[in-house]
Amino acid sequence: MKKIHIIILLVIALSIAAIMGTVADSSTYASFKVAAANEGDEYHVVGKYVKDKGIEYNPQQNANRCVFYLKDNENKEFKVIYNGAKPQDFEMSEQIVVTGKATAGVFIADKILMKCPSKYNNTSDPSKTTNTSAS
Amino acid sequence: MDIQYIGEHLLPGNLGNFFIVLSFTAALLSSIAYYFASTQNDLENQQWIKLGRIAFYMHGFSVIGVMVTLFYLIFNHYFEYQYVWQHSSKSLPVRYMMSCFWEGQEGSFLLWSIWHVVLGFILIKKAKNFEAPVMTIFSTVQVFLASMLLGIYIFDYHLGSNPFILLREHPEYMELPFVKVPEYLTNLDGRGLNPLLQNYWMTIHPPILFLGFASTLVPFAYAMAGLWRKKHNEWVAPALPWTYFGVMILGTGILMGGAWAYESLSFGGFWAWDPVENASLVPWLVMVGGAHVMLIYKNRKQSLFTAYVLLILTFILILYSTFLTRSGILGNTSVHAFTDLGMSGQLLVYLLFYVLIAAFLLIKNYKAINIDSVEDNSTSREFWMFIAALVLLVAAFQITFTTSIPVINKLFGTNLAPPTKPVEHYNSWQIPFSIIVALLMAITQYFKYKQTDLKTAFRKLLASIIIAAVITLLAIFALELYNGFLIALFFTSFLAITSNIDYIFKVLNGEVKKAGASIAHIGFGMILLGALIATGKSRIISQNTSGIDITKLGKEFNNMENIMLAKHDTLQMGEYFLSYRGRRIEGVNHYFDIDYFQRNEKGKYDLAFTLSPIVQTNPRMGNSAEPDTKHYWYKDVYTHITYAEMEPAEEAGHKHNDEDGYKNYASATMAIGDTIFGSKSLIVLENIFKEADSLKYHFGANDIAVGATFKIIDIHNKTTIAKPIYLIKGNTASPIDAEVENIGVKLSFKNIHPDNGKIDIDLSEKDTGSQEFIILKAIVFPFINILWLGCIIMIIGTVLAISARLKKTKFNIA
Repeated sequence: MKKIHIIILLVIALSIAAIMGTVADSSTYASFKVAAANEGDEYHVVGKYVKDKGIEYNPQQNANRCVFYLKDNENKEFKVIYNGAKPQDFEMSEQIVVTGKATAGVFIADKILMKCPSKYNNTSDPSKTTNTSAS
Repeated sequence: MDIQYIGEHLLPGNLGNFFIVLSFTAALLSSIAYYFASTQNDLENQQWIKLGRIAFYMHGFSVIGVMVTLFYLIFNHYFEYQYVWQHSSKSLPVRYMMSCFWEGQEGSFLLWSIWHVVLGFILIKKAKNFEAPVMTIFSTVQVFLASMLLGIYIFDYHLGSNPFILLREHPEYMELPFVKVPEYLTNLDGRGLNPLLQNYWMTIHPPILFLGFASTLVPFAYAMAGLWRKKHNEWVAPALPWTYFGVMILGTGILMGGAWAYESLSFGGFWAWDPVENASLVPWLVMVGGAHVMLIYKNRKQSLFTAYVLLILTFILILYSTFLTRSGILGNTSVHAFTDLGMSGQLLVYLLFYVLIAAFLLIKNYKAINIDSVEDNSTSREFWMFIAALVLLVAAFQITFTTSIPVINKLFGTNLAPPTKPVEHYNSWQIPFSIIVALLMAITQYFKYKQTDLKTAFRKLLASIIIAAVITLLAIFALELYNGFLIALFFTSFLAITSNIDYIFKVLNGEVKKAGASIAHIGFGMILLGALIATGKSRIISQNTSGIDITKLGKEFNNMENIMLAKHDTLQMGEYFLSYRGRRIEGVNHYFDIDYFQRNEKGKYDLAFTLSPIVQTNPRMGNSAEPDTKHYWYKDVYTHITYAEMEPAEEAGHKHNDEDGYKNYASATMAIGDTIFGSKSLIVLENIFKEADSLKYHFGANDIAVGATFKIIDIHNKTTIAKPIYLIKGNTASPIDAEVENIGVKLSFKNIHPDNGKIDIDLSEKDTGSQEFIILKAIVFPFINILWLGCIIMIIGTVLAISARLKKTKFNIA
């Protein structure tokens, strides 16, 4: 067996390890129901911000804590505590992906990814963007 | 239903559409002509080449025509065109108009296409025997790219997305009421450019990056030409400088993207392993590997198959990353990704077309090209270069696999989410790979092709090894580098720098012209080293100074990276004391001026610098924060606003409103010499005096005014004098308060007790609850300049290597 063959075997082994490692590190998209049933496991939950319930954020007390409600794709509402500053334009987001785990009936998120529809996709009425200064 | 619209300019759009159709047809014609030129015998092929050239020139000029037309529309604010309306606005400064051009997908395809045209023009002049087959590949690529802009329906399939579509004819808007208004244009303004792109980096980064993308087509086209025309030996030499050109430009483009992210995005760093970043890094890694395998072939006639595979793979990966970033498939995992314009099917066809052709040609020629692989001699240079290429390939594979999780979900119906800690995930793989790559960069030049006397090589390397080891030891203590992998990477990347410097002097006798490769390797070593120190030892200094016990919230809560800073308040943050001075508003930009003080030996506070991070308001696209960074040669202090109230901006003008922002803190009856304590100050009553300046208060005969002198000592031991006045004017008491704004206290003289000489005082303090505040995050990046300097050195090295290579080939031909 030539050295190069051993090396190629090593490369293949490493690639398989990379696949396994990625699968091991990856988490799962889930609903709040699943997250609540498996407390302490990391999940990504996709949902919509429940505007009526508002967001609780008191930077004077703690700049790194906001509390809000998220409705997941199965329409289950869940209280989310995010350990970070309130993202700018939070209210404008159409869809939110929170990453974290459920504990005692709340979802502790350590990451938020917001999808603002207006930022990269544009579906608003052009007539609303006309400037009225001329009238 | 025939409405006469007022003020529309339809001619340029028609012209643009004409150019698009022409560019598509001409590219098609050019592909066919060059195809026959490649396959026909000598006599006929000159005719075909002529036709191919004419067609490609026609194609090129029509692509330029499309660009000029689109730019003309943007420049003149013709908002009747959807592209112009969506990506620009009247208020947009001219210097950002270029960015509008490539903000949309259509424009960025156009940019990519233009670079192919430019490279194609050069190849027509320079490629000689390879012109016909190489240009066949080029032209077919251009057919695909041009089809992306066609925007026509073939049966029910929408082919491409046309940048010249009118707003009122755009499928999303054609049902809206404004379409019925003939004069809809009179007040129409565009939606404006995404504020994140209104940045000088965004005017230079995309063109460079797309030139990088485009330059991967050249070696790909040569490789395909080699396979197709069975010129397995001949294609390598002319493709080699192009490959290094691609390595340089794409590398520059990627790093510029990092610089842009660092300067104007607020994720706090220059690299976040975002899928979009990965999508351009992966082809670069593979191309670097391919370039080195080409060198092996050139010098030893080995590993031809690998060279073919890597260069073909580079271009395929560029197509794959285009697919990833533009098909909308990354939707939930990346903030950068474009949304789907319905072109993912087209992109997939494009991708599969080249995958299948390349695979077919590789299999067909397998016997002819699978000649010698690298010989089994581990003391040869080619052996270790080959290993390095393989390591790069595996590294690229790891990144691709994780980035492709959404694709895997689509294909296999799984429900995987990307790693919750992406940076840690990628680093855990890529740091070990970097250690190996850096080590190989350090030692491989000391190996000779074929065979090396290891003792001599080691002797030559010894000095570098000692220096690197000593510096690493020092760094472990100086930088508190206590992670085995980081120490190993520090050592190997430092060794890559020292050994390559040494190589230039010892082996090349300081001949800079020949030293391109060594210089590029020094640069890359510095990039690794700089990235290691700057990110590995970055400190978030905006941490945990609020005085609130975080630990009581549980262990999970230790990622507190933001602090609140109220106006005029001072907070300690690392070695700095921060004071938020206020905001300035310039157009859409809110600048938040934050003073950084440092305590000197005497205990006084010196203003070190002022940073003004920005929050850019944009009601339609959302506000965005842009950091501000103080650059020292040895570190950067980076600050960005994570949160600020954007509404009370006007309040700044009404500061003196009595009710505004002050809260009663304490009331006291005081004698001279008494002290009361505020929350952040100590207040002493010095004396009471009779205000004699009768004119100042327009005294009547029976009016009196009594003043009190207070000494206010703040937390910085600074003393301020305040003199509230007790005024009785026409039998009514009207006290005049003394406000000390920078400390945020107000004193009111309420009453005098003539019997004992005491006075009543109300102390009010600025209520931080209603006071303007900002939430910010600040990070110190040590020695990040090593990284940027490394980039520049790597570019210089690659340029030298290319020019040396070009001189050599010219010499060989002549």
